[in-house]
Formats: sequence, structure tokens, C-alpha cells
Amino acid sequence: MRIKKLTLLAMFTTLALIIFTIESAIPPLIPIPGIKLGLANIITLVLLKNYSFQDTLWVLLARILLSAFFFGQALSLLYSLMGGLCCLLMMYLTNRLLKGHYIFLTSIAGAISHNLGQLFIAYLITAVPGVLVYLPFLMLSAILTGFFTGLCAHFIQRYLMPAIAGSQSDLKSGGDN
Amino acid sequence: MKKFAAYQKTAFVIGILLILIFLSCMAWIIFPKPHSDGLTADIYQDGKLLQSINLSAVAEPYTFTVQGENGGTNTIEVRPGSIAVISADCPDKICVHQGFISTSLLPITCLPNHLVIQIRESATDKETATEPALDMISY
Repeated sequence: MRIKKLTLLAMFTTLALIIFTIESAIPPLIPIPGIKLGLANIITLVLLKNYSFQDTLWVLLARILLSAFFFGQALSLLYSLMGGLCCLLMMYLTNRLLKGHYIFLTSIAGAISHNLGQLFIAYLITAVPGVLVYLPFLMLSAILTGFFTGLCAHFIQRYLMPAIAGSQSDLKSGGDN
Repeated sequence: MKKFAAYQKTAFVIGILLILIFLSCMAWIIFPKPHSDGLTADIYQDGKLLQSINLSAVAEPYTFTVQGENGGTNTIEVRPGSIAVISADCPDKICVHQGFISTSLLPITCLPNHLVIQIRESATDKETATEPALDMISY
């Protein structure tokens, strides 16, 4: 991996970690476990638009592992991993379907699958069917937060990315074309 | 009719799907499935079970008062299928503001008076009845 691309990806990982840190400092307004803003998905969306699937996967795994080591218990690592991987898969597929347009639809699909993945693994681990009662609330919050996240990613892509990287080709190849 | 590209049609389909999910979730929340039998409310004071009320067997609403150790009181109203703390002498009145509960999702707690009201849907098993459904919440 070229140095410039590696540095940029590391910067995105740091950004995702910072966003996650700030977001976890917000007290939960709604007392349903699993409801969160999911702002770190903004980074995942921006990466999906500009980099390949493998690069996004690396950044996602690094972000989940580091945030779990810094903040969470071992169990939350499993939840985050499941949610994050489902989210990435769904966002990649939706992005391919939509040919890169309508980022907010991609982000909503990612948020929904993130919550579904977390709920599913919570059901598998705790074996309490009562956790499934959270399903409609999580879906609603996923749609709303996914929309917000998608809008953020859209504006970041439009205004911030040209400032970060010199040109579009500069990003992928790492500056040695 | 202008020509829509393939991705726009896909986006339209996804949008319709999302609207359907949204509406069905709203319907699920606003119209809860009534649990006709097997609703029991356990009232705990200082961790000890004071009484268990079978909410499905309640015919008429009634109220009673629970005394705490420090002289704190909570007035509890029981209705068919739901229970609530309608007045308390704690400073925050969080228990009063919670209103009526009819599911085991969230218990009513009055921390200054060490009072917990937990609904148990005893349709499943009686052995784990004293354990709450969730015992860890992580974000």
C-alpha cells in the first residue's frame, strides 16, 4: 500500500475513532439499548465512495477493534463487530445497486442492517426473545439516523474531499500516477 | 415521461421499501399486542418482594400506598393491565412522570424510596421469574 494512501486511511481511522468517542460521551436520551447516532458510519460511507471494499473493511475493523479496546468490554466488541460488518456489507451492496448515487439511501440501509445485526446477535447470545421487542424502535431510529448520517456523508464528499485529496485519482493510487 | 436510469428506479424501489418499513414500525409501536393473561406486577421494596399483583385479574382500578424506610411514601394505582405510581414524596418524581406501564420493558423505580415495580409476563417460565430479562446494557 502506498504511503500516502496508508496515511490517508490512518487519518480516516482516527477520525472515525474521534467521532465514536464524542458520540459515546453523549448521554442516552432514549432508554433503549442500542440506540445511537452511528456517526462513525459517515467515515465508512465516504470511504466506500472513494476507496475499494477491502480498504473500507480494513478501516472498519481497525476502528471497531481500537474502540473496543479503549472503551468497551469484550462483549461489546462482538456486538460492534457484527453490527459493523452487516452495515458494511449492506452499504457496499446498496452502493453498487445505486451506482454511487443517493448516499442517504445507502446509509439508511446500512443503519438498518447494523441494528438488525446487533439485535440478532443479542438474541443469539442472551437467548431471550424479549430483546426482539426493540425491533420497531431500532428500525425507526435507524431510518432517521441513517438519513442524517447520509446527508453528512454527502456534504463531506462534496466539500471536504476535494480539499483533502488533490484529485480523485490521487486518492486511489496514493499519489504516484 | 422522462427516461429514468436504472439506479433511479432502484432508488425508488428502496425508498418505497423504507416507507413501508417506517409505517409498519409505527403501527407496531402505536398498536401494541395486548397480553390478555399472565401479567403480574412485582413490587419490590429494598430488594424484598412486597406483593405480586395479577394485573389481568384486576376488575376495578384501585390505589394503595407503600411506605418506605425513611418515611417515604409512594401511592400506587392499579388498573386492569397496567400499574403506575401516581404520587410520591421523592424530590424528583421520576416515578410519577413515567406513568402507566403494561409491559416488562421498563420497570418503575423510585430510587429515594428504594421502590421497584417490575412487570412479569408469566406466560413463559416461573423459575427465572425473579431475574430481569436484560442484565447488561452496553453501547
